Amino acid sequence: MLGAIRPDSWNLPLFVHVLGAMILFGATATVAIAGFAARTRREHAELLARVELKTFLFAIIPSWIAMRVGAGWIEGKEFPNGDEPGWLGVGFAVSEGGALLLIALGILAWVSIRRHGIGRAAGAVPVLAGIYVIALGIAWWAMSAKPG
Amino acid sequence: MSKYDWLLFLHITGAFLLLGGGVVAGALNLAALRRDRPSEILMLFGLIRIAVASIIAGTVLAFVFGLWLVNEVGYGYGDGWIVAAIVLLIVGNAIGGFAGRRDARTAKIAEGLVAQGDEPSPELQARLRDPITLACNYGSGLMLVALLAIMMWKPGA
Repeated sequence: MLGAIRPDSWNLPLFVHVLGAMILFGATATVAIAGFAARTRREHAELLARVELKTFLFAIIPSWIAMRVGAGWIEGKEFPNGDEPGWLGVGFAVSEGGALLLIALGILAWVSIRRHGIGRAAGAVPVLAGIYVIALGIAWWAMSAKPG
Repeated sequence: MSKYDWLLFLHITGAFLLLGGGVVAGALNLAALRRDRPSEILMLFGLIRIAVASIIAGTVLAFVFGLWLVNEVGYGYGDGWIVAAIVLLIVGNAIGGFAGRRDARTAKIAEGLVAQGDEPSPELQARLRDPITLACNYGSGLMLVALLAIMMWKPGA
């Protein structure tokens, strides 16, 4: 019932966190969709590689920052003494560990454009994006269902 | 996990699919706006169909489990913020659907142009940049953000 009774001062940080996470989910899914589509649409591979890199630069990075800033902000209000429950660790594992994966994704997306959207880098981008989409799904399950 | 936890998880899953689908559609639509060749526009519009499936599934999940949550938590179906959220969901989807039908007609024109040699066309560019379609597409996205804000602040609850 926490969602129903939380203090008003938690609303803005939670809004920033959730909106950032939702845009991050959509932006990462866009990269995965474009990347997998490029495998069967070779004539459009370069265009789709550009869509992937632009989505990474203008949607994934800003939304990851919003999600992470909102997470730290709400954590400070909800658990000021640092007595965090286990489900919160799942969220931080996805955001911190995911940052490394996203950096790798951004580098590979850039390499992919230089090779006209064809090659190993181009093939790896949608796989990494797909893994992160699944990780985000696990994080929102932990954040909403709060297991344990 | 309690019944409330499951309902909240499924409701939030719907919200993620709905808003995430909107982001996918927006990103691919923006990419299409910057292209000239009908085959590229047609391909990008084709990928938007995946986003539309996510939006439809998300709307159904968020709506059904949202109403169930209202009953579970003990809010009233006539509470102002719940009525406002339902209105925003319905109007946002209706406006988005209207824009989607106009985009489908644009895709048909692109398909015809591909068959005729795939040359850039002023008519196709005009349809892509049609202000009514763009306003409806991005207006429906803003309604979803407003809907999320209502869910957070629950004004009047």
